[in-house]
Amino acid sequence: MNVTCSDRDRIFEDGTTGEWAALEVHAASCPVCKEEVRAWKSLSVAAKELRDYSESPSFWPRIERALAEEATKKAQRAGLRRWFSFLPEISLGWQTALAGALVLILTVSGGWILHRQRFVEPNPDDQSLLKSKALKEVESAETAYERAIDKLAAEAKPQLDNPATPLLANYHEKLLVLDSAIADLRAQAGLNPSNAQLRYQLLAMYQEKQRTLEEVLEARQR
Amino acid sequence: MGTMGLALPWKARISSVPRERGTRVEPSEHFVGGPNLAAEDAQSEDAALAAACRSGDLRAYERLYEIHGARMKNLARNLLGNPVDAEDAVQETFLKVHRSIAGFRGQSSFVTWTYRILINTCYDARRSRLRKKEVANEDSEESPGFEPRAPGAHPTLRMALERALAKLTQHQRDVFLLYEVEGFRHAEIAGMLEMTETASKNTLFQAKKSLRQMLEPPRGSAAEAR
Ligand SMILES: [Zn+2]
Repeated sequence: MNVTCSDRDRIFEDGTTGEWAALEVHAASCPVCKEEVRAWKSLSVAAKELRDYSESPSFWPRIERALAEEATKKAQRAGLRRWFSFLPEISLGWQTALAGALVLILTVSGGWILHRQRFVEPNPDDQSLLKSKALKEVESAETAYERAIDKLAAEAKPQLDNPATPLLANYHEKLLVLDSAIADLRAQAGLNPSNAQLRYQLLAMYQEKQRTLEEVLEARQR
Repeated sequence: MGTMGLALPWKARISSVPRERGTRVEPSEHFVGGPNLAAEDAQSEDAALAAACRSGDLRAYERLYEIHGARMKNLARNLLGNPVDAEDAVQETFLKVHRSIAGFRGQSSFVTWTYRILINTCYDARRSRLRKKEVANEDSEESPGFEPRAPGAHPTLRMALERALAKLTQHQRDVFLLYEVEGFRHAEIAGMLEMTETASKNTLFQAKKSLRQMLEPPRGSAAEAR
C-alpha cells in the first residue's frame, strides 16, 4: 500500500490497520509525518493522565442506601396505587364521601394527638426523649422532608388551586388539614424539641403530606 | 465492597475495564470487535443485567457499580472537575436508572443507556452550577475547576490537558474522554451521544487536532529541517 503525506489526516481519522502500517513505513522516511504521528500518539498517552480508578470504599454503601430509600418509596407508592385503584370503579358520590371520611378521621386523630400532647409534661428520665445526636438526625430528616415537600407543593399548586375533579378538591382539603396539624405539631416541637413521640408524629405527618402531593401529581398525569 | 457470591448469569463479565491500549497505536477499532460470539455474550450479559435491575434486585445495581462504578466516576470527574460533584452525579445516575428502568426498551445496550444518563446528569449539574455562579455574579465562563488527584499523575501534563479540554466543544470533549480516557469504542460512543459512528470518529479527529494545536503547536519548518 502506497501512502503519501496527503493521506495522513484521513488515516488519523478513520484509517484501517493496513493504512496505519503503511503510514508508519512512510513516516520512517518523512520527517513531517514522523513528527505528526508521534504527536498524535502522544495525545493518547497523555489522556491516561486523566484516568484515576482508585477505590472509594464508602461510595457504594452511600449509593446502596439511596437506592434502598428509593425502592421503599416506590413500593409505598405502588401500594397506595393498588389501594386507590378501586376508586374509578365507584361512583363520584361515594368517592367524595370516602374522601370526606378520610378528612374527618385525620382531623379527629390529629386533634386527639395534639390534645394529648398539650398535657404531657416532659419527663427527664423518659426514654422517649431524644438524645442530641438523634435529635439532629430527626431534624435533618424533617428538613429533607420540608424541602422535598416544598418542591412537590410548587408542582401541584396549579391543580390544587383550581381542582378540576372532586377527587382533587378532596386532596386539597386533606392537605389543608395536614398543614394545620403540621403547624400545631411544629409549635409543640418548638417548645419541647427532644420529645421523640412528637417528632415522630411530625415526621409521619410530613410523610402523609408528601404521599398526598405525589398522588395529586399522579392524578394529574392520568 | 464485597462481591456477594452471586450465581447470576451476568456474573461472567461485561466489558468491565476499558480497552487496555498501553501506548496504543491507532486505529484500535480495527483490533477490537473480535468474533461475533464474544459480542453475543456481551449482549446477553447486558440484557441479563438490565433484567435484574428491572426486577429491583439491588445486587444487580451493585454488580453494575462493580463493573462500571470507577469508570463512571472518573468520567464524571473529568466532566465536572472535582470528585465530590462526580460522586453526586454517579449516585444520581443510579437513582435515575432505578426510576426509569421500567421504560428502558433495549433500543441501545443497557450500559450505553446508563452512560447516556450519566453524561446528561453531569451536564445538568454543570448548568445548575453555572446558574448559581451567575446568580453569585461570578465569572460566567463555565470551566470545571479541577482539583488535584492521583499522586502518581504528571501534574503539569494533566493540568495542561484539562485546561485544553475545557476549550473544546462539548461533543469534542465527550468523545475524547470516552474514547481516549475511558476506552470505549466508537460504536458505543455513538450510542451514548446519539450520533453516528462516523460522526464520533470525525469529532475525535477534530478534538485531537485542536488539542495538538493547543498543547504542542506543530514545529513546521523545524521538523522538516531535521
Ligand atoms: Zn509525509
